Amino acid sequence: MVILLRAGGILREIIKPDVDYYTRRIEARDGLAIGEILQQVSIDKRLIAFIYVEGKVRDYSYIPKDGQTITLQPPVSGG
Amino acid sequence: MKGNGLAGITVRINLSTGEIKKHPTDPEFMREWFGGRGAIAKIIYDEVPRDADPLGPDNVFIMSAGIMSGCFNPAGSKVSFGSISPLSNGHGDSNMGGHLGPALKFAGYDMVIFKGVSAKPVFLYIDDDIIELRDASKYWGMGSLECEPLIKHDLGEDFEIATIGPAGENLIRFSCITHDFGRQAGRCGQGAVMGSKKLKAIAIRGTKSLKVHNLDKLTEHSRSIVLRTKTHPNMAPWQKYGTAFFINWSNENGVFPTRNFQTTFYENASGIDGDKLVEKCLITHKACFGCWMNCGKYTKAVLPGKPTVYLEGPEYETGALCGSNIGMTDINQVAYMNWLLDNQGMDTMSGGGVIAFGMECYQRGYITKEQLEGHTLDWGSIDDAEHFVDMIVHRRGIGEWFAGGTKRAAAMVGHGSERFAMQVKGQEMSGYDGRWAPGMLLAYMTCDIGAHHNRAWTITVDIAEGRETIEGRARVVVYLQHIRPLFDSLCICRLFWGELDIEPEEIVEALNYVTGWDLTVADALKASERVWNLTRCIYLERNRANGRSFDYPPARSWEDKIPSGPGKGKGVTREQVEGLLDDYYAARGWDKNGNPSRAVLEDLDLSFAADRLEKINLLGNPIPGGIPKVRGERYKPKAF
Repeated sequence: MVILLRAGGILREIIKPDVDYYTRRIEARDGLAIGEILQQVSIDKRLIAFIYVEGKVRDYSYIPKDGQTITLQPPVSGG
Repeated sequence: MKGNGLAGITVRINLSTGEIKKHPTDPEFMREWFGGRGAIAKIIYDEVPRDADPLGPDNVFIMSAGIMSGCFNPAGSKVSFGSISPLSNGHGDSNMGGHLGPALKFAGYDMVIFKGVSAKPVFLYIDDDIIELRDASKYWGMGSLECEPLIKHDLGEDFEIATIGPAGENLIRFSCITHDFGRQAGRCGQGAVMGSKKLKAIAIRGTKSLKVHNLDKLTEHSRSIVLRTKTHPNMAPWQKYGTAFFINWSNENGVFPTRNFQTTFYENASGIDGDKLVEKCLITHKACFGCWMNCGKYTKAVLPGKPTVYLEGPEYETGALCGSNIGMTDINQVAYMNWLLDNQGMDTMSGGGVIAFGMECYQRGYITKEQLEGHTLDWGSIDDAEHFVDMIVHRRGIGEWFAGGTKRAAAMVGHGSERFAMQVKGQEMSGYDGRWAPGMLLAYMTCDIGAHHNRAWTITVDIAEGRETIEGRARVVVYLQHIRPLFDSLCICRLFWGELDIEPEEIVEALNYVTGWDLTVADALKASERVWNLTRCIYLERNRANGRSFDYPPARSWEDKIPSGPGKGKGVTREQVEGLLDDYYAARGWDKNGNPSRAVLEDLDLSFAADRLEKINLLGNPIPGGIPKVRGERYKPKAF
């Protein structure tokens, strides 16, 4: 399957965008969880605040569908 | 006629005599000090006697909307307040979003500078050209959140209101200023300074417009930023959750302050995280003036046995400091505490820190049920916390001890409790534990207003560069201490820079379109560095000892290893704390005592400040080999 990883801030360069400024195309085996996919492409999970898919927060065990866009939110200070 | 973003008038008000004078705003002064925080620092430096009581008539209280607030640039919503801080006895400034800053500019004013003390409670009334001090007796004693709608009812919905609560009136040193039903200038006890001057509120209606240098270019530039960032990956999650959603991340990375920073992992974090806020409390999203991010969350708290209350928040910091740090397990409890402190007019960050310190003192038996008027002060008890807050606000019994913040409270409690009074320079720490994030610890130690994350936040750098080493941290802290406070001088929001990848060059470009200046990012950072060094000089002149002696965190920071969670067994050593300071002073061109050298002050056109430090023997020694040519070079960890 193919998923699109999107990230801004400190995560943007870490994901190595190749589709547009914020997006990387990743081919992964069907059935892999997001956590496994991120491990496969060597993205440091400690720098990800949360994962956002189609308006919902998902954890690393979420299994994406072919063609889905997965947004990685970096942490920020605040409030 | 081309403008420069300034409204053109600065107002001076003597509260002792009631005299109100309007003066032209000096554009050269604003160019040199950049309006908000910077202009405040210079006025404090020039006008406040070094022995003036922060809560006395000789302290100034300044409200400044800076240069870019209210202009047609993104996120120009801020207004800064400043004075000598009653917490640190040094320079203090704190800012808020909402609509007050733009209203001040639209009424025709850049700054209002108060001195003296009113004989009776008053509020400042500004309706375009009309400026009056009006009787505030009917509002005195009211909670901030109750007072704001009443003033609006009396004056009109289109007035923007800032108020203090009973905490500010009673000179509680960590009191805040509240506006727009939940925006706060929380830090540095600015509410107490207003209270000391008997200034209950500020009400402004502004209907004029501002002129900028190049409106066409500014419009095009602003439009391109807004359009580009609408599809930024961070935009949708940020709009939905705001800052509160970083609680779980902070917890999983072992920096989440828990039960007065005793540990850095909270077993109930998922109960107070941002998803619970959205699920249980959210009413609607809310934006400040000129912002398309609407990260504010208007909410309600529903708890058995308590009235349903409405508020803005909690944001991350309140979630940490009025959540895990005092043992609350449910987001409604955190939201209720948020409302309680907002309405009393207490900073939720320092307030949460003070309650947590009290709870640890009670846990250890250093304060007793008898001293607490028969109440307990247990972790996670909303009733205990509410009663303790009431004791503090009204200075009853040992509430008086805590009214000055944790540093002063520790001196009264005794038992060596200063080792876990989690503050630096009298101001309580923000919602991150620095023991396993040495850059963050250094940021707290060296922050000019006391322990505050807003000047520098380094935790992702700490993670990326190695959390057991201090190498390279000073450099990043110095850079951040220049870039982040720059926003507070310009009076624009910092979050869109951090969240939406707006480059500093784009911000300076907007500044140039507003003003007609021709500045570079390096120029702007140097101006920010000048302010940083000036606030250091104010601190040294008022507190009369080597700067290094004030830059230490409480001993828990190096004596106690983290006892649980992902950071179990981790912590900095005393040697690392000293090393962080050595590296930091070297990066700044200050001597090992933490005092600025003449060379660095002269490089920043602050020779007048060097002369004054020399007279009191606090000018830094010459730096062997000279000062760094660039202090705070732009820094990006390799991993980013």
